[in-house]
Amino acid sequence: MKTNRRRFLGHGSAVVLGAMPSLVSRAVMADEGTRSNRNGKILVVIQMSGGNDGINTIIPYADEGYAMHRKKLRLPTDRLLKINDSVGFHPSMRSAADLLEQGKLGIVQCVGYPNPSRSHDTSMAIWHSAQVGDEDVLRSHGWLGMAMDAARKKTDDPDMILVGDESQPLAIQSRRSTAVTLSSLTDLRLRQPAHAQPKPTSDQASESSLAQFVDQTMQDAIATASALERNTEGGADGSAKYPTTRIGRRMQTISTMVKSGFQTPIYYAIQSGYDTHAAQLPSHSRLLREFSDATKAFLDDIEASGLSDQVCVMGFSEFGRRVAENNSEGTDHGTAGPVFLAGNRVRSGLIGTTPKLTDLVDGDLQMSTDFRNMYQEVTQAWLGISELQAAESPSSLKLFDA
Amino acid sequence: MNDPRPTEWKQFIPSDALPWDLRRIHHLHRRAGFAANWNGLQRDLQAGPEVAVDRVLRGGNATDDFDSLQRLIGDAAVSSGDINRLKAWWFYRILYSGDPLIERMTLMWHNHFATSNLKVANVAMMKRQNDLLRRHAMGKFGDLLRAVIKDAAMMVWLDANANRKGKPNENLARELMELFTLGVGHYSETDVKEVARALTGWTVRGGDFEHVPAYHDDGTKQMLGEQGDFDGDDVLAILLKQEPPARRIAMRLCEVFFGEDVITDDALDELASGLRDHDLDIGWAVETILRSEAFFSEDNIGNRVLEPIQFMIGPLWALEMLDPPPSTLLLAEWASKLGQDLFYPPNVFGWPGGRSWLTTRTMIGRANYVSALCRGELHRPNRPPDIAVLAKKHGFSTPADQSTFASWLLLGHENATGDMKAILRRPASQLG
Repeated sequence: MKTNRRRFLGHGSAVVLGAMPSLVSRAVMADEGTRSNRNGKILVVIQMSGGNDGINTIIPYADEGYAMHRKKLRLPTDRLLKINDSVGFHPSMRSAADLLEQGKLGIVQCVGYPNPSRSHDTSMAIWHSAQVGDEDVLRSHGWLGMAMDAARKKTDDPDMILVGDESQPLAIQSRRSTAVTLSSLTDLRLRQPAHAQPKPTSDQASESSLAQFVDQTMQDAIATASALERNTEGGADGSAKYPTTRIGRRMQTISTMVKSGFQTPIYYAIQSGYDTHAAQLPSHSRLLREFSDATKAFLDDIEASGLSDQVCVMGFSEFGRRVAENNSEGTDHGTAGPVFLAGNRVRSGLIGTTPKLTDLVDGDLQMSTDFRNMYQEVTQAWLGISELQAAESPSSLKLFDA
Repeated sequence: MNDPRPTEWKQFIPSDALPWDLRRIHHLHRRAGFAANWNGLQRDLQAGPEVAVDRVLRGGNATDDFDSLQRLIGDAAVSSGDINRLKAWWFYRILYSGDPLIERMTLMWHNHFATSNLKVANVAMMKRQNDLLRRHAMGKFGDLLRAVIKDAAMMVWLDANANRKGKPNENLARELMELFTLGVGHYSETDVKEVARALTGWTVRGGDFEHVPAYHDDGTKQMLGEQGDFDGDDVLAILLKQEPPARRIAMRLCEVFFGEDVITDDALDELASGLRDHDLDIGWAVETILRSEAFFSEDNIGNRVLEPIQFMIGPLWALEMLDPPPSTLLLAEWASKLGQDLFYPPNVFGWPGGRSWLTTRTMIGRANYVSALCRGELHRPNRPPDIAVLAKKHGFSTPADQSTFASWLLLGHENATGDMKAILRRPASQLG
C-alpha cells in the first residue's frame, strides 16, 4: 500500500496525482499568431470555503422561522436588499443586488445532496468530485477535471487554473487534463529564461514514476511561464477598478489572463473564512461584501473588454449552516445553501425553492436542488460538454438563457 | 534499544547489497534533518551507522551562544508582533539549533495540529504553541496531546473559548477526534456532541488556558461506548486508550521518513502496535525507524518529494553558506512562495505534502530560489557560493573533480554532470 494522505486521514481531499500531459508539445506547436479563438466559454468558480451561512446570505425574511431561530444573528428586515416580498440579500451584497437588477445574477436556492456530511473535508470532497457517499468513496478526480477530460476541444493553455496560494482542490484534478496554480502573474516569471532551464528527462536515472512526475511538472511549469510571458505583454492595463481584497486581486488576475487571450476554460479561486462558529455578524458581512464586489468588478471589467457573453462566474460553498444559531453568536455546520451564477448569459433571478425554516430535519434545511443537476446544466448548457453524466437523474433545471 | 525488534523493522546492518556509503549517509541527513556538509558525511562514513544515527537522535551540536541568541530573536519577534519575524526565528532554529531532527519533528506536529495565525492573529500564542510542539516532539503522544488541547492558540483556532455549558461549540471536539486522534469512521456525530459538552469549561482568558467551572457541563455524557460525568481530561484519557491513534502517529511518521510505496500495511501495523506497547512514545518510534533496514533500503532513497524548507535549506547546509548567516526573513518569504508558509497551514488538515508540493507556481518558485541562491542573494550583502573554493578546501582540485564533489554533496551520488547550478536545477534535486 501507499502511505498516502488519503488513507491516513481517511478522507477524500487528497488525490492521486497522475502524470500530467505535457504542455510543451502544445506550447511549442502553437502558432503564436493565432490566439484569436475566443469563442470558447469560460467558467470562473469561486469556492466560498468553510460553509457559508446561506440563511443570512439570501434571507427568507418573511419566514416566521427566521426570527425564531436567529435571535442575535437576525438581520433587520429594513436593511435587507429585497428581491421580492419574502426574500432579500444581506445588506453587504449591494453589488450582487446590482447584478441581479442588470439581469446578470442567478441564485439557485437550497442546493445540496442527500444524507449531507457535516465534515468540511468530506462535504467539500463530495462537491468537488460529485461523488456522493461516505468517506470511503474513492474520489480521485473532480467534476471540473472530468468535464475537461470529456471536452473534445483542447486549447494551447492549461485547462484549469487555480489562482491563489492554496493546494489545488480536488475539483480540478483529472486523469489527463492540465491544472496549474498561480497566485499572481509575477509568480509565473522565471528569473532565468526558459532556455536556461533543464531539458526534459535530463536525468538518465529518471525511470521511476515519481521522477517522471517531477520532470513533467517542471516542463509544464516552464512552458506555462513562457506562455504567460507572451500573453501578458501589455495585457494588464490596470484600468478596471477592483477591490483590494484577496478575492478582488485574484479576480483581477483571472481577468488579465482572459483579456490577454488565454484560452483556459476553467479558473478557480478560493475565498476562505466562512466557518463562522463564533461572532459571525462582522466577518460574514465582510466576506459577502468582498465576494459580491469582486464578482461585480470582474464582470464589469469583462464586459468592457467585450467578452461578457463568454464568461460565467459560479460561487458555491461546501454546506450551509445550521438554522438555529449557536450561543457563540455563530452557527455550526449545516446542510444546503445558495449557489450563485453570474454573467451575461445566466438565467437571472431566484431559481429553485426558497428554503422553509419551519420544515427542518434535525434542525437543518432540506435541500431542494441536487448540486449534481446543477453541475450537469453548467457542463452541458454552458461548457457545451455532453458526455459527462454527473446527475443522478434528469432534471428540468435551467440556469442559462438560450 | 533492548526491546525485541518487530520483524518488519529489523535493524539495518550494512552489507554488500546495502553498504554504508556516502549515499546512505546523505540520505540519513537529508531525510532525518535537512542535509549534511562534506565533513559531516566523512565523519559518519568513518563512524558507522550506529554512531551516525545516535548523533542524529541526540542532536546537541549547537554553538554555545545559540540558546541565548534564539531566545533574544524569539522574544523580539513576539514583542514586535510581526509574524514574519517569528517565521525568521524558526528558520534561525532550523539552521543553528544543532538538532535538525527535532525541528523536522516540530514541523511534522505543526502540520498534524495545523493551527493558522490567520485566525489566531497572535504572535505570542503562535510561539508558545511552537515551543510546546518542540518540547513534546519526541516524547509521549499523550503528553503532547494533553498540552496542545489546552494550548491557547489551538483553543482560539478551534473556538474552544466559545464552547460553554448549554451552548456547546463542536469545532474542537470534532477536530480532536477526526484529525488529532481517531480519524473519520471511528466516532459518531453523537460522540462529537458529547465530547463538546465534556470540553466545556476549558477556555482562554488573557491569552492563557483557564478552567472555568461555571462554564462546565457536569452532566452525564456518553462517548465511544463509555458513560460518565466526563470532563476534558477524561475525554483525552478515553481517546488515548483507543486503538486508532497509534496507527495515525505511525502513518504521520512514515509520511515524514519514507518515500512512496516503501512501507507495507504490515509494517505500519507493527509500528502502531509497538507504539501502543510503548505508551505512544514518539521517540521510540523515530529511533525504530531511523535504525531500520527499511529506512536505508534502496527503495527509500531519493523517493520522496522534498518539502520546500528541506529543498531550501539542504544546499545552504551542504555548501557551507551558514557563516555568516543568510537572511532568515528572506528564507521565510521564499518558503511561502514555495508553498510552505510557516504558521499559516492552508486549513485544519495542514499541508497535503508529497507530490502536491510541486505545482506550476512552486516549481517556478523553486527554480527562482536556485537562481537567488547561486547569485548569493540570500545573504545581505550578496555572497555567491563558490563551489571551486569549497571543493579545493576538501581536496578536489580539477574541474572534473569539482563536478563530482558537487554531485556527491548535493545529490548523494557521483553521477550528475555539470556545475552546481545545473545540478540544483535537476529534477533529482527535488527529491530526497
